[in-house]
Amino acid sequence: MIVTGKSLPRRTFLKGVGATVALPFLDSMVPAFAAAPKAPVRLAFLYVPNGIDMKNWNVPQEGALPAELPRILKPLEAFRGDMIQIGNLTNNSGRALLDGAGDHGRCAGSYLTGVQVKKTTIDIKASISCDQIIANKIGHQTRFASLELGMDDSRQAGDCDSGYSCAYTNNLAWRSETQPLPPVLDPRVLFERLFGTGVILSPEDMDRRARYRRSILDFVTGDTKKLQSSLGPTDRRKLEEYLSSIREVERQLEKAEKESVQIDPGMDKPYGVPPDFAEHFKLMSDMLTIAFQADLTRVSTFLMTREGTSRSYREIGIADGHHPCTHHQGKQELIDKVIQINEYHTKQLAGWLGNLKSIKEGDCSLLDNCMIVYGAGLSDGNRHLHEDLPTLLIGRGGDYFKPGRRVIYRKETPMSNFHLTLMDRMGVPVENFGDASGHLDPAPLT
Amino acid sequence: MGVDTQAQGRGAVRPPIGIALDGDLGNRIDAILAVAMLNGLTAKTEARRISLSVSRPSLASAQIADVVAGFYRGRPVGGSAGGVGAITEGMIGMPEGPASGNDTPPLAATLSRKTPEGTPAYTSAISGPVGTAESAVLIRNLLLAQHDGNAAIVLAGPSTGLVRILGLYRSGPQITAKCKQLVVAAGSFPAGPADPAIRNDVAAAKKLFAEWPTPIVAVGTEVGEALPYPGASIETDFAWAPVHPVVDAYRAFKAMPYDAPAPALAAVLYAVHPDDGYFKLSDPGTIAVLDDGRTRFTPAADGKHRYLIADPAQKDRVLAVYTSMVSAQPAPRPGRGRAGA
Repeated sequence: MIVTGKSLPRRTFLKGVGATVALPFLDSMVPAFAAAPKAPVRLAFLYVPNGIDMKNWNVPQEGALPAELPRILKPLEAFRGDMIQIGNLTNNSGRALLDGAGDHGRCAGSYLTGVQVKKTTIDIKASISCDQIIANKIGHQTRFASLELGMDDSRQAGDCDSGYSCAYTNNLAWRSETQPLPPVLDPRVLFERLFGTGVILSPEDMDRRARYRRSILDFVTGDTKKLQSSLGPTDRRKLEEYLSSIREVERQLEKAEKESVQIDPGMDKPYGVPPDFAEHFKLMSDMLTIAFQADLTRVSTFLMTREGTSRSYREIGIADGHHPCTHHQGKQELIDKVIQINEYHTKQLAGWLGNLKSIKEGDCSLLDNCMIVYGAGLSDGNRHLHEDLPTLLIGRGGDYFKPGRRVIYRKETPMSNFHLTLMDRMGVPVENFGDASGHLDPAPLT
Repeated sequence: MGVDTQAQGRGAVRPPIGIALDGDLGNRIDAILAVAMLNGLTAKTEARRISLSVSRPSLASAQIADVVAGFYRGRPVGGSAGGVGAITEGMIGMPEGPASGNDTPPLAATLSRKTPEGTPAYTSAISGPVGTAESAVLIRNLLLAQHDGNAAIVLAGPSTGLVRILGLYRSGPQITAKCKQLVVAAGSFPAGPADPAIRNDVAAAKKLFAEWPTPIVAVGTEVGEALPYPGASIETDFAWAPVHPVVDAYRAFKAMPYDAPAPALAAVLYAVHPDDGYFKLSDPGTIAVLDDGRTRFTPAADGKHRYLIADPAQKDRVLAVYTSMVSAQPAPRPGRGRAGA
């Protein structure tokens, strides 16, 4: 890195042996007397499986979100003014349409592609997903065209739902109609991807690094000191906070790796994945925050758990699998467990949103410049309904959306219409996508 | 009618033909009778009503559609029925567009009918446009759930809503694959005055006849006049239902007794039983819509259009089907299981 009296280039990196750390947006990156550049808009889809208990999710009335939110949204009360709950979006391609059983496989495979996926375990076929259409167009502007994150299962073959390949339930992003983009599950792998030089360290190298307790930041100390000396107090503080957040992620990683124990023998977890769901989510979402903050990517998909998962949640006292609970057939005891799981997920989301909101970007927050779509490919998981999909849009998409409300569109409004709207906002206007009938009417959202 | 997209499996035996009915339930009593007739044909497992949509962006029209459809789904009427508005299983389609205010007052009278106890006789789950689906999307979505060639669309009203399907991405091949034919209850054939259903919506009708990808069979007003629904049936055949929205709408539509011209019923009967000799059919040709709303049929061997001709020899047979099907009691509902694992 070379520091001059001029403004810093937006693409400034702190470099060291085996390490590259991108920087967040700093005031010094704005040339003197120039207007501050507009921060980029970032888009993330955060997907939860098996539907959501809609009675405890939907705000009944259109308009401003009420003071008292439904139970599952309660953890998000601090973000009431940052989110729009959208009603009646439908994914018709997730329905059987003559293909019989397999709603979980279909709803995930079609969630971002908008097409009816081929019922097969071998010659999979979907379509390019909307996040990848965006990544193809704007991905060259960032180090990573997109990031795909996940939490519990990366199998790409086999039958995961009534004849549907695991490729459908375990991926959200599709590069083409036959090429899904598997999510990264292991926080260490994600960390190395974000801050390494692209060289995958051997387990021995990783051990060596751990043994000497060396932080990735130690490898870029020289560049860091040089940069700090050239920054004003505000930027110095911003940089320190940013580097601290990376250090914190490292500490969490080290802790997870040290404590790596398989508390759930039913799960196939890579080494180093924290046994605790919340810790795992925090690590992954913290790194996504850093990736957004440092403009390493502007597009991400995050499969909180794979569609149809039977994961248990012992950390909140639920030993039954998530999927069996959703087929409650009206039994209150099981319904309560579903609600608890749904609420647990929104609690994790709240933690991430708090993080995004705490980071300043010019006059607003990083969250303001984001469009975080939180939702599921089924509404009622018991009846496998594909209409009125639970959907939250969080953030302002860069001063475009006016959050803090509940917006209900007409029944059967294609989810693909929403995707067209999001692609537009990302600067990638597309005329046709999936089963869209047009863009969402922007008036209620803006 | 629910969003019946789980009912058929690709390898399963083909069910009876599915009919998507798009009608002007605000202005045409035959469109309301057509809903009743489809119920009767469903009860006899001769057809399935796969979707119901109204042809104009009218909330009252959507509400009457919902009330009638709800009645045949077994929604309670009158008395303590206040809570039944919560039933939202049925979905009613309605075109996009500014609200149309030309609903006939008698339909409003039907919707506002009270029981002797003073409670609403009928309740609709639809209180605003968000309670409805855009008709083109609803019809497209439900067509996709049908076996190839095992569906037909019956249009008994303006074309605006239906023609929107043509603009949906990839809809052309989808319609061609799923929809055997479109039966349009409008126009006059081989010549005659402009039918209001076309005259008030000329641009959309022109586009429909010019661009619709499947065969079209038109049922002109002359067929409706030749085979009217007998008003006497209203007086005698519905004793099983002291409160019946179709009966109330019929009575409110015009001073009784009257026989209602019913091209929509002919359209439904032909769509379900095209080969049963109820009607005669013109030679193939092309139907064009003129600027003043009149229709012009030009014979052509390779034409995709035909029009229906009432056969006097079949009149009694046709009317017997009309009355027995329209006055049929609600079809038994298929069992509802969980939709796939």
